[in-house]
Amino acid sequence: MDDVAFDNLEIASVEVVKRAAHDFAAALVETPQFKTFEQTADRFRQDQAAQQALQAYQEKQTAWRALLMLNALSPEQHSELERLQAAFINQRIVQEYLTAQTDLATLCQTLGDALSESVGLNYAASCGASCCG
Amino acid sequence: MQPTLTTTMQEATQSLIDNLLASEAFVRYQRAHTRLSADNDARSLLNQLSQLQAHFRQQQANGGVTQAEINSVRELQQKVQRNQIIMAYAQSQQEAVNFLREINNEISQLLGIDFAALANHATC
Repeated sequence: MDDVAFDNLEIASVEVVKRAAHDFAAALVETPQFKTFEQTADRFRQDQAAQQALQAYQEKQTAWRALLMLNALSPEQHSELERLQAAFINQRIVQEYLTAQTDLATLCQTLGDALSESVGLNYAASCGASCCG
Repeated sequence: MQPTLTTTMQEATQSLIDNLLASEAFVRYQRAHTRLSADNDARSLLNQLSQLQAHFRQQQANGGVTQAEINSVRELQQKVQRNQIIMAYAQSQQEAVNFLREINNEISQLLGIDFAALANHATC
């Protein structure tokens, strides 16, 4: 496309693009995947057994962080950590939460891919997304 | 398996794409990309730099980089930085990325979660 063609393009103002972004977010909020994720996340937060299992696992992880980093846990400590992790992961609400999160992520990845292919930039990478927080 | 998108979701996605592409930042980026693609000198410079850097990394891994090789990479980097078409492309790309981040913030604020983080395929 040459400069003349570009000059004839109607430029979308920042406000107009942001409005389209709002409509996009509003449509995403109405999807079954997002609704299920929100409902499940809420139930997960309210579930005392799941929260206690999470806390027990995280406390032990924190206490043994130095040993974990050095890969120096004893076999008994390893077993204890695995037991606490399983006690958390095997809670029904945790399984439901993880499934809902995966389903929502799959939808968002599909949408992100569509955006990336069309605009010529990797959407997630451009926005600094990292799986490591 | 890819999820089926509702009509509303499809339309909203297409509208966001259309508006992003019509934004000033992306129009500038496309224009700079077109200019770069049409300029043989600029493309040749970038190819040379890419090849030299790959060679340089290989030599570094093998533990043997000479001063002459360091100088040749620096010289080529300076040539790239003096090329207006390449620099205009790099700057326009950065501006498009910044705009995309701004739009992602808008979306994420409404969702209550970082949309880009969920859209990321990479896993640790």
